[in-house]
Amino acid sequence: MSVPDYMQCAEDHQTLLVVVQPVGIVSEENFFRIYKRISSVSQISVRDSQRALYIRYRHHYPPENSEWGDFQTHRKVVGLITITDCFSAKDWPQIFEKFHVQKEIYGSTLYDSRLFVFGLQGEIAEQPRTDVAFYPSYEDCATVEKRIEDFVESLFIVLESKRLDRATDKSGDKIPLLCVPFEKKDFVGLDTDRRSKWEGSLQWWRGKGAVHWVSDFLKLSGTDFAALEGLCSASVIYHYPGGTGGKAGARRFPGSALPAEAANRHRPGALTTNGINADTSTEIGRAKNCLSPEDIIEKYKEAISYYSKYKNAGVIELEACVKAVRVLAIQKRSMEASEFLQNAVYINLRQLSEEEKIQRYSILSELYELIGFHRKSAFFKRVAAMQCVAPSISEPGWRACYKLLLETLPGYSLSLDPQDFNKGTHRGWAAVQMRLLHELVYASRRMGNPALSVRHLSFLLQTMLDFLSDQEKKDVTQSLENYTSKCPGTMELLTLPDGLTLPPVPFTKLPIVRRVKLLDLPASLRPQKMKSSLGPSVSAKSPFIYSPIIAHSRGEERSKKIDFQWVQGDVCEVQLMVYNPMPFELRVENMGLLTSGVEFESLPAALSLPAESGLYPVTLVGVPQTTGTITVSGYHTTVFGVFSDCLLDSLPGIKTSGSTVEVIPALPRLQISTSLPRSAHSLQPSSGDEISTNVSVQLYNGETQQLVVRLENIGMEPLEKLEVTSKILTTKEKLYGDFLSWKLEDTLAQFPLQPGKVATFTISIKVKLDFSCQENLLQDLSDDGISVSGFPLCSPFRQVVRPRVESKPVNAAEGGRPGEPCHVKTLEAVLNFKYSGGPGHVEGYYRNLALGLHVEVEPSVFFTRVSTLPATSTRQCHLLLDVFNATEHELSVGARSDEELILHAGECQRMAIQVDKFNFESFPESPADKGQFANSKHLEEERQEARGLEINSKLDIHWTIISFSQTRGASVEGLLNQLVLEHLQLAPLLWDVLVDGQPCDCQAAACRVGDPVRLEVRLTNRSPRSVGPFALSVVPFQDHQNGVHSYDLRHAVSFVGSGTFYLDKVQPSGQAACLGALLFLYTGDFFLHIRFHEDGPSKELPPSWFCLPSVHVRALEAQA
Amino acid sequence: MAVCVAVIAKENYPLYIRSIPTENELKFHYMVHTSLDVVDEKISAMGKALVDQRELYLGLLYPTEDYKVYGYVTNSKVKFVMVVDSSNTALRDNEIRSMFRKLHNSYTDVMCNPFYNPGDRIQSRR
Repeated sequence: MSVPDYMQCAEDHQTLLVVVQPVGIVSEENFFRIYKRISSVSQISVRDSQRALYIRYRHHYPPENSEWGDFQTHRKVVGLITITDCFSAKDWPQIFEKFHVQKEIYGSTLYDSRLFVFGLQGEIAEQPRTDVAFYPSYEDCATVEKRIEDFVESLFIVLESKRLDRATDKSGDKIPLLCVPFEKKDFVGLDTDRRSKWEGSLQWWRGKGAVHWVSDFLKLSGTDFAALEGLCSASVIYHYPGGTGGKAGARRFPGSALPAEAANRHRPGALTTNGINADTSTEIGRAKNCLSPEDIIEKYKEAISYYSKYKNAGVIELEACVKAVRVLAIQKRSMEASEFLQNAVYINLRQLSEEEKIQRYSILSELYELIGFHRKSAFFKRVAAMQCVAPSISEPGWRACYKLLLETLPGYSLSLDPQDFNKGTHRGWAAVQMRLLHELVYASRRMGNPALSVRHLSFLLQTMLDFLSDQEKKDVTQSLENYTSKCPGTMELLTLPDGLTLPPVPFTKLPIVRRVKLLDLPASLRPQKMKSSLGPSVSAKSPFIYSPIIAHSRGEERSKKIDFQWVQGDVCEVQLMVYNPMPFELRVENMGLLTSGVEFESLPAALSLPAESGLYPVTLVGVPQTTGTITVSGYHTTVFGVFSDCLLDSLPGIKTSGSTVEVIPALPRLQISTSLPRSAHSLQPSSGDEISTNVSVQLYNGETQQLVVRLENIGMEPLEKLEVTSKILTTKEKLYGDFLSWKLEDTLAQFPLQPGKVATFTISIKVKLDFSCQENLLQDLSDDGISVSGFPLCSPFRQVVRPRVESKPVNAAEGGRPGEPCHVKTLEAVLNFKYSGGPGHVEGYYRNLALGLHVEVEPSVFFTRVSTLPATSTRQCHLLLDVFNATEHELSVGARSDEELILHAGECQRMAIQVDKFNFESFPESPADKGQFANSKHLEEERQEARGLEINSKLDIHWTIISFSQTRGASVEGLLNQLVLEHLQLAPLLWDVLVDGQPCDCQAAACRVGDPVRLEVRLTNRSPRSVGPFALSVVPFQDHQNGVHSYDLRHAVSFVGSGTFYLDKVQPSGQAACLGALLFLYTGDFFLHIRFHEDGPSKELPPSWFCLPSVHVRALEAQA
Repeated sequence: MAVCVAVIAKENYPLYIRSIPTENELKFHYMVHTSLDVVDEKISAMGKALVDQRELYLGLLYPTEDYKVYGYVTNSKVKFVMVVDSSNTALRDNEIRSMFRKLHNSYTDVMCNPFYNPGDRIQSRR
């Protein structure tokens, strides 16, 4: 049985088969060089004939294949060319002998043969022989083609003569009947008589295009199957001059006349345009007798069905199928072609060798490809690939297997570029694709190319991750790790010897990155731009305040750029939200950032993600080494020994908030530490600033503490500038005095601060909160019934001592009062250290370090009540303060140099301080200058505050916890109400009473009985308006010191002149005086009460303005 | 009874594939996968003219030694492929058609499930 030639196509029927073979030892290279030259002579126009002769060359052709040569002459080896090396004449006979042996092999069918001898020179070579050609070397053989042409011509002559023999021979009976090879063994008893007669030359004739002749023959031979196929072939050649074999088509028709002819042939039956063509009848006849395209297939089917009846005709059947498929492919009738192929698959030949199987599967695959069945094609290619490494093969061809497997990729819609899988979810036939990838991995490993198998395995893991079961994931990663231990996976392009390149496979899914966020520097290191006074950047952009177009375009531009800066030389962070899709712990090593634009030192991290973790934050860090604009383009990892560079652009479903950031020049770094303990208590986020350090301190109200701040330059740049500002966070507590104060000059003297150097800075913290108390405490001492206006009733220094035992239950009953020690107030402030230096300073950047200060203010003393008592002098008064000790310690309270008042814990005592009245108008009213304080209430507050400050500074109330022996101040500012203030204020109308020309205020004025005493009332108007006129009456009385005032003194005191005084209108800053005189008739202590007549104008003025000193006159015995 | 049933998405990837001899599932994967060539060919051969009253049933796609592969395509180009044992002569065209109709109904039910995402793999409890 013969071997099927899968490459056959219908056109081959018109060719002559010539076998070219080497004899003796001929190097493959040389042989194929000559073979190539020989096979270039594939078409020859023989002289005396317009028609071309086609030759098919084979260098390997088993003689058994000629068996069917009687039926299909193109199977018959009609010519033999042997090529040999011969360097000495000595070898010549031996070689010639071999040539003859070779001839014997194909002897039965051979018409002619040639021997090409290379290398032999000398007399043997001189001999002119027709069947042997001598060439000195493989290079020097210019006449090879000519020789071949001669050879082909000689073949033609033989054939032509045979044809002529038959043509003249009228009695067909004399020709020996043709037999199919198997018929020689078992005659089936078909009508061999009719069948085989014309076969031999039929093929030959058909080869010459004599279609009409073939049709004649058809009438003779009827349904003979071999003839059917021959007819098909003839028709195919006729219909498809371009050839069905594909690649060989161009070679077959080099003639210039043919294309035009071919064009005509496409319209069967049409008259040729070459009107003078004598052969028009032939042309018409051809078209008439030729099968239509549909019929060709019908006939092929018929032929094949005949062939299939004979087991031994398998090869013929198979070849017929292949030929038919090629024809159908041209006709684009894929379905029918697939049926032929399906049939071909089932044709059982004898036991095929492995190589033949591979060949068969490959050709099936090729044919399926031809008809557009890519999947089927891939399937057979894969089968062929598997055949290459079948266990029965002693030397498995892994390389071939791998190559074939690669060719199946398109059929499974698989590309080896992972980029193709980034678009959305993977939509492919995962089961078969995975299988193929596994096979690729295995084949490449067996091929001895571990890099390739790592690449394929990475690809499998990356692209098929969603389809791998947990166990498979484990297995794949396990084997990947095994491979990479020998050959780590890289990001390089792998190039196969045949030119195919395998793009790198970055593991973008191990781990999966969901979000990439560039982090701003921590607040304390964040660079800030110094505000330039001109602000050119704002105005330069657009003349419009708002323009939607510009805003839009700018927005797009900015979308990738983030509006914060990184600083050269500082560690910058990028946060990735990752998760591990694997059912086991994933170790990611060497994870770092990929950046561009700026020299960046990435500091890779290693992480271990728990199995199927949720989103897991990973922070990658690096240090920009230069300045400019940096773009974070991706990250790199090493997972399972495979290096991956994952670019953010190619990651599906990733969220980024921009990846471009500006890197500004280096700035110094300041680290601060303080004398106070750090606190865990952080300030409220509403403060706006992010605070790096928090310190806390506990102070009693009124206490002052020094805060020493240690400034250390821990950066690489000198610290040149420092600015300190403070911000007190809004607190409900009213704060008096400067909470924080400092002197920067001493610190700045140490600047510039070189890296590593330390400077100190002192801040004093003074807490002075409201010392007043809520109203409920006021009631405590209200039983005294002290009136603010009145006469000096009792001793000015009066103590109301409340025993502690008594106060305790009150406190307990009214819990939560401010008097309790648990009531701690807090004060919070932020100290901002703005500093700069180095190149960043030149660029106008600074850094801000915020120090949070948390002060817990414990209550110390409270002034539960405040009131005033007029002093004996109108220019003075007594300030009465009920002081409550809210601490748990014994403390002393004092004002100015007065004696100290000792208070036990929880004790409340009254202290009185004699103060000069204040002339508030004397100091500038700052709020009045500021026009913006339109609110009069506000203005009033301001004024009151200023007054409070003034009063406080005069009073200088301080307290001391005795055991600590440290003096702290206290403030009355908060508790001074309007009423008290008014009393403390020097009235704008200054009244002076002069007795005998001596101003009389608190001391008693002495006079003699019987002498008239001059009394002068003087008014200085300091108010901004004119006052008066006033009428004053002087009422003398005697105080019996027991609460009884006796006014009936007509007999004791007499007025010289009127008892009523009149004062004219006094202009602002004017003065007026009125005079009168008194005569005391008896000795004694007299008081004069100067009273205003209650008429109109005085009512408009506050009563405190009319505060006249009471006059105390002591009348003494008249001198003798 | 069919030995393998597959539902294939418009983009030619399997939405559902299940075979009765579960041990050699891959074989059926290949079988169904290669049958898509024929399905594609048949669909393109039908042309666009007959879209409206097109026959959904594609008939026998191809026979193999042991099995016969039948095809069916919905109007939304979702393909159903069924592999039956060729020795089972009880199954004739009509039976196959009715099986496909049932399959189509089931598929419609799946699509009606508001929790099913079109394009995802179809999960079956059984």
